[in-house]
Amino acid sequence: MDDDRLTAKNNYVKPVQALPIRGFFGRIAYGLGSLLKGMRVTMHYFIHPSTVVTQQYPENRETLVLSPRIRSQLSLIHDESGYHKCTACHICEQACPNASIHVVDRPEPAISKKELDFFIWRLDSCTFCNLCVMVCPFQCLEMKPTFESSVYDQRLLAYNLTKYAGPTSTVLAKQTDDEARKNMIEPRQVYDGPTELGGFILAGMPESTREKKS
Amino acid sequence: MVTTTLSLSSVPISSLDKRIQSLENEQSSLGTQEYFVNMGPQHPSTHGVLRLVLHLDGETVKEVIPVLGYVHRGMEKKCEFIGYRQQVHLTDRLDYLCALMNNWAISHAIEKALNIELNERIQVVRTILAELQRIQSHQLWWGVFGMDLGAFTPFLYGFRDREKITAIFEDTIGARLTMNFIQPGGLMFDITSDFAQKVKEFIAYFKPILNEYDELFSGNIIVQERLRNVGILDAKTAISIGTTGPILRASGVAHDLRKLEPYGVYSQVQFDVPVGATGDCWDRYQVRMQEMRESIKIVEQLIDNIPEGKHMVMKFGAKIRVPEGVYYSEMETARGIYGNFIVADGSEKPYRLHMRTPNFNNLWSIIRMAPGLRIADLVTILSSIDIVVPDIDR
Repeated sequence: MDDDRLTAKNNYVKPVQALPIRGFFGRIAYGLGSLLKGMRVTMHYFIHPSTVVTQQYPENRETLVLSPRIRSQLSLIHDESGYHKCTACHICEQACPNASIHVVDRPEPAISKKELDFFIWRLDSCTFCNLCVMVCPFQCLEMKPTFESSVYDQRLLAYNLTKYAGPTSTVLAKQTDDEARKNMIEPRQVYDGPTELGGFILAGMPESTREKKS
Repeated sequence: MVTTTLSLSSVPISSLDKRIQSLENEQSSLGTQEYFVNMGPQHPSTHGVLRLVLHLDGETVKEVIPVLGYVHRGMEKKCEFIGYRQQVHLTDRLDYLCALMNNWAISHAIEKALNIELNERIQVVRTILAELQRIQSHQLWWGVFGMDLGAFTPFLYGFRDREKITAIFEDTIGARLTMNFIQPGGLMFDITSDFAQKVKEFIAYFKPILNEYDELFSGNIIVQERLRNVGILDAKTAISIGTTGPILRASGVAHDLRKLEPYGVYSQVQFDVPVGATGDCWDRYQVRMQEMRESIKIVEQLIDNIPEGKHMVMKFGAKIRVPEGVYYSEMETARGIYGNFIVADGSEKPYRLHMRTPNFNNLWSIIRMAPGLRIADLVTILSSIDIVVPDIDR
């Protein structure tokens, strides 16, 4: 307390309002007044139903507007022709603090480079820190505001984000022949919801989740 | 009356069983009886998994022994493994009501180490967001404080208004609680074009609401009588325990890092530091209520002219290499001083990281305040300390 900066003499120090000391009758009078004052606030909201802020969630699903920045679902950006830009460089995998991302690559025989095979993202261990999106040098990841991802089996929370295995969109764009382009890619994802862990079929997985959603 | 010579300092927690046994063996002759009661770990008014062992004499509290460790996650050790870039998002999970300020504190330490000069825009936006977070945190505290005293209504009012700030955060940051927005080198995104407009709308909305809080709750005679002269903590004890933030200021010590060691743009704005006189629950209540008004003042001064500039002065990849050395940064969060002590060995992971979290020190003020009071008052005190348990255990 020797420090001058900490004493109450400083110009920025603002003492808070002390509680006044009241007598017996003063307390009764003040008490009744304060209770009525509080009730006035309550009554104001009672007779003004427009001030109610409650949202009826499952019913207002149609009209629910979510900010585009909300981070609740990682997705690999696919352009309008359905091709992504991921080069399987593994930087997102290195940046992920809790190993929620697993990138599986495979050699591409044509140009002796690596290409994306599986992009596996585990929602159950993801903390939505957005680091993978920030560090991606090709901006091919994004966080989406879809939040209704609850399932009955934890294994369903491992997503496979790739729709095909094969080269990036830039390589595919150079290929003019439609038929040749189709041969370069291998469809990976038929069901765009939660998938089996690692893209592989696990024992005991409910049959219905493997069905095509089209 | 059972006469036992028990003091907190002399008996370690591990010997609790022995003490309970010794009390049970003794015979009580008159009226009240001494006994031990567990408050928590699952108790609504401890705001998390905190266990308080109460040594009671009838309904009077003789001694409070906080038992910690129920949500210990090894944060500091974890930071030694995951690296500087990744550990920023872990600080969200310490004091989850001050996530942005925690992000700022740890980013500040890394920026200090790497000598990164931030531009004015980043500093101003960070300051605005931190003050909004302070208001948000105090709003939640206000609501929960009312609920702990037995009034459910303030809880709904507090959360209704907290939602307004949360909506701003949702639009700007993309998260509601664990934001990870303030990054080493700047901000994760640039603020949206309508950010200033939204904040102004909120301030216009919230200013009259603060008076409504006073009408509804602060002016209430029951509240006043329950807070008056309850849980008095004098300045000397508060300093010796190491309490910071509103608790220390309520005890009459004008200690605020925003004034003493200004960071961000706090040196450029005008605001007062509310300071209490007696250090009872009423002072702690009033200090926080006034702090909300001061935070509004700060935001009002900054929101009209946010300077132009980049939102990220230095873009990092997946790893950040910090040069060898020892770095410390501390910041005034809504609950007190949050400090980061980093020992760097030149790699992308800290050799050791110590987090000085405010709630850990603030909690221990309860063992000085509670003796002699009733259990109902203990709940009042615990709520007026405004603890966040994950921050204590970390």
